[in-house]
Amino acid sequence: MITARLGLRARLYLASASILMLFAFNVATHLWGSYARSESVMAYRIATEATGLVRGIQQGLATEHQRVQVLAALRETNAPIRATQRDQANAELASISDQLRALGGLSDAQTETAFREFYKAASDLLDEWVQFYRNYNNSRSPTRLSANAYDTAIDSLRTLADQQNAVALERSTVIDNTIQLTDRITIIAFVSSITITLVLILTLIRTTNASLFRLRVGVERFGAGDLTHRIDENRDAGEIANLAQTFNEMSASLQTAMSDLNEARADAEAANEAKSMFLANVSHELRTPLNAIIGYSEMLQDELGDGESIDRDQFHHDLTTIIFSGRQLLALINDILDLSKIETGKMSVSVEPFNAAGLVVQVCDALSPLLAQNNNKLELDISGAQDSEVESDPAKVQQILTNLFSNACKFTKNGVITVAADIRDDYLHLSVADSGIGMTEEQQAKVFQAFVQADSKTSVNYGGTGLGLAIVSNFCDMLGGSVELSSTPGEGSRFDVSLPIAPM
Amino acid sequence: MGNSAVLLVEDNDINRDMLTRRLKRAGLTVINAADGVSALEMMRENQPGVVLMDMTLPILDGWEATQKAKEDPAISEIPIIALTAHAMAADKERAMTAGCSEYETKPIDFPVLLAKIYQFLEGSDV
Repeated sequence: MITARLGLRARLYLASASILMLFAFNVATHLWGSYARSESVMAYRIATEATGLVRGIQQGLATEHQRVQVLAALRETNAPIRATQRDQANAELASISDQLRALGGLSDAQTETAFREFYKAASDLLDEWVQFYRNYNNSRSPTRLSANAYDTAIDSLRTLADQQNAVALERSTVIDNTIQLTDRITIIAFVSSITITLVLILTLIRTTNASLFRLRVGVERFGAGDLTHRIDENRDAGEIANLAQTFNEMSASLQTAMSDLNEARADAEAANEAKSMFLANVSHELRTPLNAIIGYSEMLQDELGDGESIDRDQFHHDLTTIIFSGRQLLALINDILDLSKIETGKMSVSVEPFNAAGLVVQVCDALSPLLAQNNNKLELDISGAQDSEVESDPAKVQQILTNLFSNACKFTKNGVITVAADIRDDYLHLSVADSGIGMTEEQQAKVFQAFVQADSKTSVNYGGTGLGLAIVSNFCDMLGGSVELSSTPGEGSRFDVSLPIAPM
Repeated sequence: MGNSAVLLVEDNDINRDMLTRRLKRAGLTVINAADGVSALEMMRENQPGVVLMDMTLPILDGWEATQKAKEDPAISEIPIIALTAHAMAADKERAMTAGCSEYETKPIDFPVLLAKIYQFLEGSDV
């Protein structure tokens, strides 16, 4: 449908223009018909007038002819006519002459020849009669009347009248045809303009309705939650296509906003879930050492209170256990705080130059009791880092080393722990390797997660919070570096840390 | 050993040592297991009057061990008290669903635990 490709305004303009054109056409045919009717009336009037004049002239000529004949007969008796009689006759002749001219005014191109002929004959006749009256009393030279002047005039008058009638008949036929034609055209134009107007209006309503229906269906589907639905913009033009396009644009941005919102909600839910998990884990981790502390303390209190002799060695051992659990609790709380700071983004990095080799030595010295506990030996290779300084956060590097080194000490018995530091390719490479129990690949995969130890017995047998490696991994990220683990069960583990020697 | 024995299933050495000694001081007979599989074996062998079951255990965890115990007609009647540092309501529900008769959160309120143990032991023929 061609109107479907037009805009709403264009459709209305087109419909209005069509209706106006049809209206103008109707008015024009109506005016044409009216003109034909007035022509007809005019022709009728002329014809009536001409017929009247012909009759008048004919009558006048006949009367005068009779009178002249009578006078011509009477003149034999030499009876003169009076002057008044003559003047009256002249006046009547002048009146006929006036009527002749009036008839001339009514004649047209078609009757002109016939009129001229008649006019000449009638004028000759009238002139003859004027002469006749003028010379009537002059007996010496009376005007002789021609034998057939009157008949000639009357004949040519009849011819003229016949011609005039024929012309009038012809004209009235033409006018009648014209009137019939304009009437027919008016009716056809009227009926067809009503039909065309109706068709136009119905088409306009239908196509506009169809366009609006498409819009409504689109809005309803979108409103019902089908955010991917779009209205077909190509099936309309102009304002409705613009509206569809605007709606589609709105739909697209709404869809984007909704998907952003859903993403943000999913993120928030995941974060909330993680927070709950973290809290549950913290609660669990704190309760384990607290159980030992409270349990042993209550037991020792009971032993002190029951009056029996106290096994001093056992008592000392139990107190040591309480202290160990207390320290473990403290370490746990510190690690939890660190991890919480990292997770909330409140852990700041303070970069300053320091000597990495010196830091390694310092950590190893501080942890020498731990090294000795399981009868382990230390091998140190720091030659590659001795001569230059690095720019990083020394406190965090120290904690990374401490966590890795104490892990190595805990999981190795009668073995060797190798700590190395080296600077190459703008990176500080630190490695801590042990000959301890090692880890399976499954254990390696999750050991950097918070609260995860390679084995649930680990914290009992080896201590630790399950947060140390999570902190190491987070600190390495914060310093722009990375940590990698390689391990074989029963043979040992090796952690390789790479940190940039200048802030990125 | 008979029905008056208490089977303590706990993988943490310190906590197992502490609780064993306190239960013994209270006059109870205590036997030990450190994982879910040996716990089931001990239950079948010794038919203890009550089991104190930690939930986080190696090899076979406390929930699974409890479920298996309830499916085995030879030991399904033995009441199990869950002992766990998991303190959330959902954790208690999980233990009860697995088939535990009672639930105690670490750190343990020893008198309360003792009362529950006696309640189960008296419920049997002791």
